[in-house]
Amino acid sequence: MDMLLIGLCLGAAGVVFVALAFGAAIRSESWNSDVRPELPLVKAAAPSRFFSERLPIPPAPLQVPIEVLLLQIENHVRLEQAAAESFIAFPTQALLHSKTTSPFVN
Amino acid sequence: MTHELLNGLSSAEVEQVLRLGTRLIVPTGTSLFRLGDQADRLFLIERGRIKLTLPMQVRGREEDIFVEERSPGQTVGWSALIPPYRFTLTATAPLLEAEVVALPREALRHYFAANPAAGHKVALNLAVVIGHRLQLFQTMWLREMQRTVEVRSA
Repeated sequence: MDMLLIGLCLGAAGVVFVALAFGAAIRSESWNSDVRPELPLVKAAAPSRFFSERLPIPPAPLQVPIEVLLLQIENHVRLEQAAAESFIAFPTQALLHSKTTSPFVN
Repeated sequence: MTHELLNGLSSAEVEQVLRLGTRLIVPTGTSLFRLGDQADRLFLIERGRIKLTLPMQVRGREEDIFVEERSPGQTVGWSALIPPYRFTLTATAPLLEAEVVALPREALRHYFAANPAAGHKVALNLAVVIGHRLQLFQTMWLREMQRTVEVRSA
């Protein structure tokens, strides 16, 4: 019985020794190598939001329909012509630079 | 109907000039002439309105942009009298059909050569029409420039 226990202990000690020796050999090989394995870059994840995952979308500038835009341009030209006619009829600096009410430029 | 181009002419002279021309109906929405066309006739407006436009790029599309509108008694197409005799605008009847008298350049030249006094008056009237247009657009240009300067200075 004693011999059996001694044998088991020696066997177990032998297995542990061989395992440690094998592990040490592998570790020294991999650290001595110049080639390092490339680790995949991990992008920093956006911080999670408590209430919403979505960022607020800025409001898009309002675009008037092209027909409306063309009418605004025509109206603007008519107003500017009227202002220019007033200046030509009575040329003064004040009339030359009179403010327009045209919504196209205001 | 009195025409700005024929101011100061006797009624007989007005009749003689108008007889040189042809009356044309311009249906609604159709062009009397287009930018770049050869200009061999000028037009006196008898009825309706003629809209003058220039092309402009608006949101990637070419659009005819309003430049001015001419009414009965006024003249359009004086490029027919000024080299290189090409129209620099497009003219259309916008809302209702228009009626014009088309006066050919060559017929006018012959008439003015035979009637220099009438030719002189018409030349002065044309100078008034062109001079007024120049003053008008010079003023409009300056006002737009003033706005641009204000925006850039802000």
